[in-house]
Amino acid sequence: MPEYTLLTVLAVVLVVSLDLVVVRTRLLATLGFWLTLTIMWVFQIPVDGWLTRLDAAIVRYDERHFSGVRVFFDSPIEDFGFGFAMVLATLMVWTVLSRRSTGAEQRRPRRAAAGEPSSGIGVHRGG
Amino acid sequence: MEPFHYLLVLVACLAVTAPLEWVIGARVYRRPRRLALTLAIAMTPFVIWDLVGIARRHWDFSPRYTLGLDLGGVMPLEELLFFVVIPICALLTHQAVLRLGARLRPHGRLAREAQHLGEAPATRPRCEEGARRA
Repeated sequence: MPEYTLLTVLAVVLVVSLDLVVVRTRLLATLGFWLTLTIMWVFQIPVDGWLTRLDAAIVRYDERHFSGVRVFFDSPIEDFGFGFAMVLATLMVWTVLSRRSTGAEQRRPRRAAAGEPSSGIGVHRGG
Repeated sequence: MEPFHYLLVLVACLAVTAPLEWVIGARVYRRPRRLALTLAIAMTPFVIWDLVGIARRHWDFSPRYTLGLDLGGVMPLEELLFFVVIPICALLTHQAVLRLGARLRPHGRLAREAQHLGEAPATRPRCEEGARRA
């Protein structure tokens, strides 16, 4: 497998595992994440296209190191995996930091006291 | 104009997403410490990946369309800024989606997600009722 393709697959698997299993932010179980990703991907088409379009490429990819599949404006298809991993990693870290912020700490016990069942977002873990 | 091609698209990204903070009320720029920490933690692996890609010749950058300010002689300044601008766009989008969703349907799924993610909208108590019902 070409190296960029391989690294993209590894990055996606790694970030997904972090979100679902390790850090348990479980953004992948939220509607907000998927709406965000959809919007980001739609805007990635022209932005990445501006960077990669072959008639005026800013970033020049070596055909030997990716799948060779170019989509929209000559963007390597791997770029969308890169984008997915970047968006998920960013929202995941932000979410962890939000939880740890004072506001989140104050809210958490109140929710627990209200007997709220565990939802798919996993903010309760670690109290 | 050509040397500004890369920089311009980054500026455009910031311009397009700015209203999400200042009109819709996403709170990303107004949490500068959390933002800086998020960028530092989340983007370091991607910058390293980028450097690996450059070193392994997976990609390179056109001197014609970049400013020519190469950090360490390898990464154009714009490429590093890419890893600042794009995550900011993602955070603004997510915050805006949650806020607009919560405004549209105060007891809907996005409102609950905003709650759980520590992004409390103004209607917090009733949202918690909604979360209990669900």
